[in-house]
Amino acid sequence: MFKPQEMTRTLLLGAKQDLEHTIELLHSLDIVHIIDFKAPDADQTLHLGAPTIKASGVSQHLLKVRSSAQLLQLNTENQKISQKHSEKQVQQDIALQIQDMEQNIQSLMEAKTRLEEHFRKLDERIRQLEPFASMDIPLEDYQGYGHLLVFTGYVRDLKKLTDTLPTLTPDYELFTSGAEDQMIGLFIVKHHGEDAHKLLNDCGFTEVKLPEGTGLPKQFIEKWTEQKKELSEKLLQTTKDILECRKRYAEFIFASEEYLTIEVQKAEAPVLFGTTEHSFLIDCWIPTQQLPHVTETIEKELNGALYIQQVTSTHDDEPPTLLKNPKPVRRFEYLLELYSLPNYRDIDPSFLLSFIFPLFFGLMIGDIGYGILLILFGVLFMKLFKESEGFTNIGWYIIIAGIFSSIFGLFLFGDMFGLPFMLTHAAEGEAAYSWSSLLGIHIPIPSIIHKMESLGMTQLLVISIIAGSLHLGLGLLIGFFVERKHNKKHAITKIGLLMVLIALALLIFVMADWTIGQWIKPLRGTAVEPLLWGTLIPLVKSGISLGGLIVPYITLVFGILGILIIMVVAGGFGLVEVLEITSHLMSYTRLAAICVAKAAMAFAFNMIGLGLILSGNILIGILGVILLIFMQLMVFALGALSSGIQAVRLHYVEFFMKFYKGEGLRFNPFGYKRKYTSTE
Amino acid sequence: MADAGIIAIGAGVAIGSAALATAWAQKTIGAAAVGAAAENEKMFGKGLIYMVLPETIVLFGLVIAFLLWTKM
Repeated sequence: MFKPQEMTRTLLLGAKQDLEHTIELLHSLDIVHIIDFKAPDADQTLHLGAPTIKASGVSQHLLKVRSSAQLLQLNTENQKISQKHSEKQVQQDIALQIQDMEQNIQSLMEAKTRLEEHFRKLDERIRQLEPFASMDIPLEDYQGYGHLLVFTGYVRDLKKLTDTLPTLTPDYELFTSGAEDQMIGLFIVKHHGEDAHKLLNDCGFTEVKLPEGTGLPKQFIEKWTEQKKELSEKLLQTTKDILECRKRYAEFIFASEEYLTIEVQKAEAPVLFGTTEHSFLIDCWIPTQQLPHVTETIEKELNGALYIQQVTSTHDDEPPTLLKNPKPVRRFEYLLELYSLPNYRDIDPSFLLSFIFPLFFGLMIGDIGYGILLILFGVLFMKLFKESEGFTNIGWYIIIAGIFSSIFGLFLFGDMFGLPFMLTHAAEGEAAYSWSSLLGIHIPIPSIIHKMESLGMTQLLVISIIAGSLHLGLGLLIGFFVERKHNKKHAITKIGLLMVLIALALLIFVMADWTIGQWIKPLRGTAVEPLLWGTLIPLVKSGISLGGLIVPYITLVFGILGILIIMVVAGGFGLVEVLEITSHLMSYTRLAAICVAKAAMAFAFNMIGLGLILSGNILIGILGVILLIFMQLMVFALGALSSGIQAVRLHYVEFFMKFYKGEGLRFNPFGYKRKYTSTE
Repeated sequence: MADAGIIAIGAGVAIGSAALATAWAQKTIGAAAVGAAAENEKMFGKGLIYMVLPETIVLFGLVIAFLLWTKM
């Protein structure tokens, strides 16, 4: 659970006549991660393998199937089919149908394109002729004059044109469409052409070019519209045919695409192998747990024709990462991979992430009302985006965070939607509400920590620092365990940093003595009392006073020792890490900051909203309800967003930096997850 | 009382200036991170980290403001 699956590097050696059988077998096993073969420079006998003979044929078929899928706008991923097709059947179908299918689809598509093109052309011609339709002049009458100029187009100011034209010359004729767009056809003697042009420009003239052809535009338009109607009927039929075709071939396309992809994968597999004239070599990673099963199957299926050699992996090797986690934790692998896939030698922090992340998230929200909303929102999110793996995972995180938030809201903060269930003493604000006072019934859920009081804020800050110390301490410890084998220097630095962290945490705990003292009070009278009050507390508390601040001896010892260790191992530059760990510890105060900021926002909005609702005026009351719902949703959205991001950040930045390297190579077994076909 | 006023102003300046500094840093980083993520989705995680790095600055301001506030 805390480490990726162990891998064993294995070499498989065989004679070329067994190559195809070996590929088939490895593919069906779907558990071998093949390493790309790189021929050693000195070795002239080993070459990169070549694809098998059937590769090009299968690839061509695949190309045809994919182009058909594209033409029919079929997405081959995640489709539902009636039943899985047997590979043999698909193979036969491909031989029989692929040519026909391709021709059918292509001819339908071509017909559709032709019809569309024709339709578009007709449309264009009608559009050109339409302005002339209302003037009832045959097209040939607009042209071919020796002494006349003809202007056709739209004018904005027709009145001005009709008023001014007679003053230029009486030798003209003006035709207008009578329609609102004011299309005109002006026939005027040539020597007044220039004046007419000027006048037209003044009237806002836009020229419309005369279309080619002869005859009355109206007649043409009627004819073409009729043709368009016929065309659109044909087009509709063709589209129907295409849909029919899509329906008929869909399953065949899904199944054959999958089958051919697998075949191409197998045919091109030798490219990953090393080969000589008569033999081949496969270098691969196999999960150690599966190794006996894999070896046994290979031995049995190939009658010992393959030589299997396990290789001890060196530090230069880069084994692929295959995480193994129980199902609820597996969802958090997504959050981890969003940062980076763990390196093979990394500790897999998915399990820690799976409960610390929602814990922080929930603590920052810390309200049963918002908690329940979060759970509902998460469920909705998972339902809405059930196709997307990423979004369903995020929905899951929201649900878990909602549960934590509700627990904190119920048992620690005792509040719902920013309102406490009961007020234990006079609140600091002048008009304070609680669920008990609003509903008129006593709800005995106390607030152990009041977010809106200075004591509560101090307590929250102390909780944040405690959480930070534990989280960072855990990170440093894991870092030490990871590094101790590879880099002793780094490992020792982690110990030094851990000591500095303890020193800092203790200093803060002594400063917050009165808060922590209160929490551990119930332990008095139990078996741990002598240990705590007899030894530990006096030990931690004894120290020297520096300007009124008591610095415990234990802090001094741990701090100085830690810094010395770091400086000896990492040199002066190591001091930067000391500063870094300090700032990282402070960084956890965001837990308190977000928690209080969100509570303060909710408090302010509740005061406004409830003030309006309880004002006594019905209209203002209704307005108050609407306003309050809106404002509460805003607090919820802002709170959930910032809490989520900050909880992620505390992991990505503060926690992971202590031990996590990432940039792992994903375990990619040679095989295929079949969806539409089966080998039976 | 005058002291309390001065302390309150001090606390406000502490958190306000720290918040401004954070915003300034995030503005530049955020723009670059969005650009990087748009080109390569895998950069999203890294971009988010760089983006939220300066947020610690405002927390320093918050802690100082809080320490001042408890002195009021």
